[in-house]
Amino acid sequence: MGGDKIRKDRRQKREDYRRAIRQDGVSELPRKKFYRQRAHANPFSDHQLIYPPHPDQMDWSSLFPDYVVADEEPQQPRRQQPDSSAAAPASSGAELAPLQPKRLSKEVEIADIGCGFGGLLVALAPTLPDTLMLGLEIRVSVTQFVEDRIQALRAQARRAAEAAEAEAEAAGSSPPPPAPGMYRNVGVLRANAMKFLPNFFRKGQLSKIFICFPDPHFKARKHKQRIVSATLNSEYAYVLRPGGIVYTITDVPDLHEWMVRHFEAHPSFERVPEPEQEADPCVAIMRTETEEGKKVERNKGQKHVALFRRLEDPEW
Amino acid sequence: MVAFPYHLVKACGGIVFAAQGSDIHSFNSRLEHVSTWTYPHQHAAEATRPAEEAQDSPAPEGPPAKRRRVEDGDDATAPNGHGQQPSSNGQPRGSKAAQYDNPANERAFLQGLYATADGRHLIAITGCDKTIWVFEHDGAGHLKELSRRAMPKRPCALTLTRDNRTILSADKFGDVYALPLIPAAAPTPDSTSSPAAATPAALTPTIPLSRSETPVILRPEANELTVHTKRNLRALENQKISLERKAAREAEQLEPSRPRFEHALLLGHVSMLTAIAVGVAPSSSSSSSDPAAKTREYIVTADRDEHIRVSRGIPQAHVIEGFCLGHEDFVSRLCIAPGGREELLLSGGGDDDVLVWDWRGGRLLARAPVLQHVKQVKGLEEATKVAVTRVFATSKWHVTTDGTERTLVFIVAERVPALLVYELWPDNTLQHRCNIPLPGNPLDLDVLEGETSGPGNTSCRLVVALDPTQKGSSSATTEAEEEPGCRRRRATLMFMDNAGDEGKLVPVENLPAAGGADIGEAELHRLLYTTEALRKLTDYE
Repeated sequence: MGGDKIRKDRRQKREDYRRAIRQDGVSELPRKKFYRQRAHANPFSDHQLIYPPHPDQMDWSSLFPDYVVADEEPQQPRRQQPDSSAAAPASSGAELAPLQPKRLSKEVEIADIGCGFGGLLVALAPTLPDTLMLGLEIRVSVTQFVEDRIQALRAQARRAAEAAEAEAEAAGSSPPPPAPGMYRNVGVLRANAMKFLPNFFRKGQLSKIFICFPDPHFKARKHKQRIVSATLNSEYAYVLRPGGIVYTITDVPDLHEWMVRHFEAHPSFERVPEPEQEADPCVAIMRTETEEGKKVERNKGQKHVALFRRLEDPEW
Repeated sequence: MVAFPYHLVKACGGIVFAAQGSDIHSFNSRLEHVSTWTYPHQHAAEATRPAEEAQDSPAPEGPPAKRRRVEDGDDATAPNGHGQQPSSNGQPRGSKAAQYDNPANERAFLQGLYATADGRHLIAITGCDKTIWVFEHDGAGHLKELSRRAMPKRPCALTLTRDNRTILSADKFGDVYALPLIPAAAPTPDSTSSPAAATPAALTPTIPLSRSETPVILRPEANELTVHTKRNLRALENQKISLERKAAREAEQLEPSRPRFEHALLLGHVSMLTAIAVGVAPSSSSSSSDPAAKTREYIVTADRDEHIRVSRGIPQAHVIEGFCLGHEDFVSRLCIAPGGREELLLSGGGDDDVLVWDWRGGRLLARAPVLQHVKQVKGLEEATKVAVTRVFATSKWHVTTDGTERTLVFIVAERVPALLVYELWPDNTLQHRCNIPLPGNPLDLDVLEGETSGPGNTSCRLVVALDPTQKGSSSATTEAEEEPGCRRRRATLMFMDNAGDEGKLVPVENLPAAGGADIGEAELHRLLYTTEALRKLTDYE
């Protein structure tokens, strides 16, 4: 009874806020307490997920509106039936596909798998302002939180830039350059990364994958649900370009060992040596800026970091 | 109660093997019955006992890894309560049987029939005990059981590597395992704990750590620093206590969590696998000068989540070469085109079309409508969806259209009483040729190659297993089917010769009597028609 009421209240608060941010341009940050959700989701269930059949059919324009290639007309949905008289086959898998979405001037290069409340993405965005990054999160309301957070941050950045410009104009000097990125390079999607990573990303599209504080699935029976496994690592290798890095961090020592063991055993990966790991600016951000990282800090827990480099495939 | 129809067909040398429930019948090239292999129900009951009991038995194949709640599969009653007679081994029937609504878990039922290229080995899958059976075939239709291997999860489909020496088994959990066709003579206890050690080089697992591998844990993986609430701390305490107890138990007996035979995890999807195929393409390696080494093997796997994945073959199966993405519903069948068109892959499933791919490049080349032609079958004019169960291309059977030879492709859709015949054209399109109506729902088909009676003129015989339906007698191709209420005499195995009239299938006469196992109609349907169930429920909304 009480739980129902609380849930209803939360939903009401979320909806009010989302309306405000979309219609009235409010740039106040969303409040996490209205978006809380059970920390676990079953990756094997079907859910009600939206994903493109092929990466070429992914419409990124709503996630990264500032990167849409402007001069292209959006095409009408179509399903082309192959013509029996056409001898030459299509040159791309998408040509027989129903939809040609708007193109972006850049591709997503960084994926945060299980991005949670988006702390890492928000911290990374100004650090790598010219790189598109995408958070993937399976929980609905947590995804909404990150969406709202990005909206609010973009609105804030825009407003700050406008204010600075107005001030500069009043003072008669040239305006200062806007803050790097202005959070235009961050996006979030509700997705089951264990199943549908190749629906979003093409072979070798990514340069970095972050796996931060994943669900440890303590019970041995649940180990198969872990985000790192011998077979899933092949999919990470597929979407990562050679030289790309998988970043992992956890506060659970056994899970750390598990991840290290499975990545080191996979022929497509090698562990990044510690000096190089510590020199990577992303590692510091991962340690301090993720929501879980902060929580572990408060509880004085340990943080275990491991990085793995995607190797070139051998000849075949 | 009805008899099992024939539901699987496999041509193997000059012999046709056809599965009926849990029996495998063999027929010679004139389709005369030769012999029958019967599933050893008694053994199955033993094998499904808890592992601890079975471990004492000297069975070299080893018991299945997991304890299963299985009634004797032979005569388990349909959940609708038909028949209360005791089962064959005299034990009273457990009332629990009714609570399982998937008969495939309970009843011995052959789920797949495969043959090596030389026809000397036949491989079968049974679902209830997750077992892969390998038989030696003497070339005349007699089978000798060579091995019986219970897999960690139920195999959904399997295929063989190009050299016909390794079985690739794709399972319900999404993993693909490699296992030798002929297992090593005597698996020692050592080889069970580390299968890699006893494995020949070709089978060395490319992924040494299996996803399902569970190391013996003697302490909880969480610690006081990783749990933050009072309740979780209490749970952690309890966990420690229970793990200590478990460790004490396990010290006495070996953990029976692994099958005791050579097997290697090659790759895996996080989805139920539905089909697997092996393709061969030119090697991308520039250095090889040996012409024999210029082609490479690839493993193509399809799953319920619309994916078709192309991985390298052994020993680089961990490398994903690409995906063939474009299906918008489950994929249930893969077929590499035969006859010099091996660069093409045909795939069917829950979509309205069958897709033609350049599988090596992951490019969609053509779509061939299936639903459209299913609607032309009498009684199915209002069909709104289709579930493809077979895509069968044969290079043995050529048709000539406009003076050029085309490969024939037979497509079967679930509960559609017709064969849909297509031609694979040189421009990589798949063109509908005709529908062949049948007096029942086709379940499986294969082509038996006969004697060559002249240059380039091989006689071929298409053999179809079907589930005779009461109503679907529109074609009236047989007289036998008109006998009212006598379903078991109705045609369940039919054939058509390439020399004969196209579109006319003839029932095989004098089929051996069914092995006594009768089954409720509802249960039978749940065993035979499993493909539509792969569709996600959300699709209906």
